[in-house]
Amino acid sequence: MSPLQGCLLLSAALFSVGLVIALARSNAILVLLGIELMLNAANLNFIAFWRFHSGAAPATGVIFVLFAIAVAAAEAAVGLALVIALYRHQKNLRLQEATRLRG
Amino acid sequence: MTAGGTTLASALAGEAALVAGALAVLAFDLTGARNWAAGARWRAATTLGGVAVLVALTLVWRVGAAGPAAGGSFMLDALGTASRAGILVLAGLTLALTNGARRLRHPAEFVALVLLATTGLLVMAVAQQLLLAFLALELASLSLYVLAGFDRTRPESAEAGLKYFLLGGLSAAFLLFGFSLLYGLTGSIEFTAIAAGLAQPGLSPLLAVALVMILAAFGFKVAAAPFHLWAPDVYEGAPPVAAALVASASKLAGFTLLVRLLWPGLGAVAAGSGLPGWLPVVALISAASLLLGNFGALAQSNLRRLLAYSAIAHAGALLLGVMAAGAAGPGPLFYYAATYGLATVGAFGVVSVLDQAGVGPGITDLAGLHRRSPLLAGCLFVFVLSLAGIPPLAGFVGKFLVFAAALRLGGLHSPAGVLAFAAIFLSAVALYYYLGVLKAALVTATTPDQETCITVPVSAAVTLVAAALLLILLGLLPSALLGLFS
Repeated sequence: MSPLQGCLLLSAALFSVGLVIALARSNAILVLLGIELMLNAANLNFIAFWRFHSGAAPATGVIFVLFAIAVAAAEAAVGLALVIALYRHQKNLRLQEATRLRG
Repeated sequence: MTAGGTTLASALAGEAALVAGALAVLAFDLTGARNWAAGARWRAATTLGGVAVLVALTLVWRVGAAGPAAGGSFMLDALGTASRAGILVLAGLTLALTNGARRLRHPAEFVALVLLATTGLLVMAVAQQLLLAFLALELASLSLYVLAGFDRTRPESAEAGLKYFLLGGLSAAFLLFGFSLLYGLTGSIEFTAIAAGLAQPGLSPLLAVALVMILAAFGFKVAAAPFHLWAPDVYEGAPPVAAALVASASKLAGFTLLVRLLWPGLGAVAAGSGLPGWLPVVALISAASLLLGNFGALAQSNLRRLLAYSAIAHAGALLLGVMAAGAAGPGPLFYYAATYGLATVGAFGVVSVLDQAGVGPGITDLAGLHRRSPLLAGCLFVFVLSLAGIPPLAGFVGKFLVFAAALRLGGLHSPAGVLAFAAIFLSAVALYYYLGVLKAALVTATTPDQETCITVPVSAAVTLVAAALLLILLGLLPSALLGLFS
């Protein structure tokens, strides 16, 4: 197994773990953590392709990852703000109790 | 930097004007308007925001279709110009409606977020590179998440914001993973280089994974089934003005970016030779959206949820336009998306005025609207009939253009032809629930507690009438929009 394949397998595993956490957990913060894990799996992909791919343009992958990390940080900030907004009304973070909107 | 014929500064002058406007709105509210009453602060913020949108519209129009800019990172073509102008018009209408809506706290923050979201949408419409597309999409999405949860006094708004965010974050992760695979397969993030890379034979099966992930993420963005779960909740819970922006300008930008990514970028693997291409996936999503949207809307008793399901159905028809855009060009798709956005902004404008007057959320609550406010009832009549696709309104022309382009692809026996026929039949289903809304508003008699007149704020009235007139005019003169593409 080449190093590139190993990296891709690892990132696929990370992505799947993140997806399972995001879909299965009912605590809003844990869902947020799952999404961050998925974003980081994609970042790992970019770095692996940049490092092991001969045809890739120089530094593109690294720059993409730097921007993606910044976006993930912004997303966490917005996400936590919205989590707090829900917590003010609901006094807990259980998503299965957030059922005012349905139909 | 004049690599592509035009400089970065002139290509992005409109976006710069919007960001400057957002900062000016915040600064003015913190200094000059600090001690003003809430109404005056709202008027000042929306006026400043409106000026920024107008300036951006002039700048975007003046740059026009100048070709690739900044070394090919942006593509200023007819689609880009038309789409950017359309997004700005829709955002401007949204801002104008804010004055008639129920007053939220923090006017400057609301207007600044609308302007920032619009900036992201504008960049989406011209991005020609994966990194820019991702950043623009996230700038727009993050602003829209906050706007959806902006009304801190109502638990529904917080819930809508959080649900929109969690599903949106999930789709962003899918998009980034798909982009990373695309980068790995072709070694580039420029659409043109990706197209060249994909044209070579012997592609890895990872491409199928990348395509499915990217289409799932865009399916979320444009509220297509089965990625539509957020739409009814957000349309119902978010402040109506924020929902108007989510439903109109964000859709137009999403479809522009999708068609630009799919045809010039991934066009080589559309039908797929040996490997599955993306056309069948888009066809499946389109069919699911048409069915689920139209039949789901039948069961709704809340006007905003009905608009959400109708949005899902329209997303299905628009995806048909995406499939046809390879042969027919983006003209029909753009016409449909822009006029659909116009009708939706109008419908949400009516909803926001009703919301402010305490009329509420059910369709039956519209009873006697023609007596209580003939203006609102008349505008709602135009918007709903345009959504239903009744001639001579713009909605009919849009449907006609998209379905005709889809039928021309491969006749009746091709998947696109079958889908177009299904969409035409489902339009009859759609007519039923649209007419249900109009029946409540125009025919049903008032009950004693619904006798009071509804006063419509002047700015909202002007905006609604302008949107309705635009729909009628564009329906009578479709060449005004389509001429941009010839």
